Amino acid sequence: MSKKLYEIISKVMKIDISTISDELGPETIENWTSFNGYVLLNELETGFNIKFTIDEAMDVKNIADIKRHLKNKGINSNE
Amino acid sequence: MPEENSLSDYINKSNEITKIFDRKIRIALVSSFTINGLSEILKVKSAERNISCMVYESPYNQYSQEILNKKSNLYKFLPDITFLILDTRNIFGEIFRFPYSISHLERAKIIENKINEIKNLLDKYIENSNSKIIITKLNIPSFSPNGIFESKTEYGFHNMIEDFNKQITKIYLNSENVFVYDFDKFITKNGEDNVFNYSQFFFGDLKISMDFLPTFGQDLMKYVIAYLGLTKKCIVLDLDNTLWGGIVGEDGFNGIKLGPEPPGNAFMEFQRVLLSLHQRGTILAINSKNNFEDAIKVIKEHPYMILKEEHFASMRINWNDKVSNMKGIIKEINIGSDSLVFIDDDPVNREFVKSVFPEILVVNLSDDPSSYVYEIENLIDFSVLKITDEDKNRGKMYLQQKKIIELEKTSTDLQTFLSQLNLKIIIKDVDEFTLPRVSQLILKTNQFNLTTKRYQEMDIEKMIKDSNFIVTCVQVEDKFGDNGIVGVFIIEKENQKEWRIDTFLMSCRIMGRDIEKGIMAHIINKAKENNVEKINADFIPTQKNKPIENLLSDHEFKKDGESWTYIINSEIKLPEYLSIEIK
Repeated sequence: MSKKLYEIISKVMKIDISTISDELGPETIENWTSFNGYVLLNELETGFNIKFTIDEAMDVKNIADIKRHLKNKGINSNE
Repeated sequence: MPEENSLSDYINKSNEITKIFDRKIRIALVSSFTINGLSEILKVKSAERNISCMVYESPYNQYSQEILNKKSNLYKFLPDITFLILDTRNIFGEIFRFPYSISHLERAKIIENKINEIKNLLDKYIENSNSKIIITKLNIPSFSPNGIFESKTEYGFHNMIEDFNKQITKIYLNSENVFVYDFDKFITKNGEDNVFNYSQFFFGDLKISMDFLPTFGQDLMKYVIAYLGLTKKCIVLDLDNTLWGGIVGEDGFNGIKLGPEPPGNAFMEFQRVLLSLHQRGTILAINSKNNFEDAIKVIKEHPYMILKEEHFASMRINWNDKVSNMKGIIKEINIGSDSLVFIDDDPVNREFVKSVFPEILVVNLSDDPSSYVYEIENLIDFSVLKITDEDKNRGKMYLQQKKIIELEKTSTDLQTFLSQLNLKIIIKDVDEFTLPRVSQLILKTNQFNLTTKRYQEMDIEKMIKDSNFIVTCVQVEDKFGDNGIVGVFIIEKENQKEWRIDTFLMSCRIMGRDIEKGIMAHIINKAKENNVEKINADFIPTQKNKPIENLLSDHEFKKDGESWTYIINSEIKLPEYLSIEIK
């Protein structure tokens, strides 16, 4: 699952898969604007066929947060 | 739903567009809610059609300010087309949730005020800008605070929105500048629950969900296509398994599937869709590998054939390959290959045609005939901002042309042929009735076009009012009937002694009948009447206007640097087989 997650992040944020790490967020990824943040969540929702609640969406500050919320939905992205 | 890419695909691709195309469009997006991503979608979709698209996005929800302030960036951008994208929540404000906190009379008053407010904006905008403006209808939410009692409520919530949409549409019914986009139909097609996503609405004031923004952009492209005159003009059709099920050569007249029972009904309906396009001006042609006798028998005699022989401007039914036939059709109809659509169930034929004519729109027809109708309905390439009388009669005119070609075959020489045609050229100043057709010709004519200057209706209107210009159209009649308005010329009076031919064009349909000689004689004689001594003209070559390259030299214009000139001496005599009537 981690591959798919990284592919989506890489595509939306326009960064190389190899450079993605848990602590990256809006401060460290240039393309992580507030709008692109929504786009990322939307494409994760489509890609994994899940829905983020508004609280979860508001809570996402970095990649680790995304992984945590995905895990709560039964998607383990560290495998 | 036709396949769409994701929003991030569009955002990424739009950053990769480097090519600058000859065709350009400037689009302004003015919206009452977040439409981030839409400009990228339009840029990518334009680039896919070889159009360079520049987009201006008005600041978030500042549509009134931008339109009311003549010095705003919106006006400075000089858009060709402007999309005013409004939504019901924004227009209604508090009333959106509480329409029944006020009386029905108050509700009606609110709508009256809103209509005036928007009308005022639209009128201001068209007064101060040259842009066409497309306003979206307001969406009608399926819910109502009154629930199922809504339809028993006088001037209820839904009535309010319907009324707004209806009134705005009515006010601008005949406007050349304001168009109404039916956003509500967009939602009907795609589904309210798909287009509107509460989470994205609360999160970022998105009123069109990210998943459906590309589909919305696709719909808006219809206006780009129509504005730039890129509308497809002709559909070239295969027969077996395209217009009917089965292969007539093998299954026989009685064995093909065409009739009220499935799957024949799918083919019948497909033919109805094609006929409806034909009725508004799309030319139809056949490109089929078949025994001519087998196929023509079906076309002429099959009781469930919707399309008849008279609907086809060209029929190539033989054993030649599809590309040779396509070349023949292009020549016979005299049409630019880039205005063709090709429909064939066989992927090999499709690839072959595409490989030789990449500019032809080759429909990726599904192998299920029940989706043919859907696939045609979802093509955006037939979009027009105007349907003229010429469009509606085009089918008939091509029939006349077929007869003319027959006559040409039996005539021994061109002179005899032309003199048998009883050609009559009617020359008239452009007025409000002929303006739409004239604008259409100016935007669409590629081949017999001296300067290929593209003018919108507004530009032409200005020239008509300007006494330094003569804006004239040409109608041609012959023994087979009226060909409608088929030519335009615009003269600029540079000074008392010199005129310049700004525009000289003729529909390709009428080429080869020496009509241009008549028009040129008329221009020269009219100049002489006005004591003009010299006519200047330019020939601006394009990839397509080779047919007109000798017009100036044939009429004894002399090359003078970059330009051409004609010194007026004596009156020009008209060829005997042409008569001219000036209206």
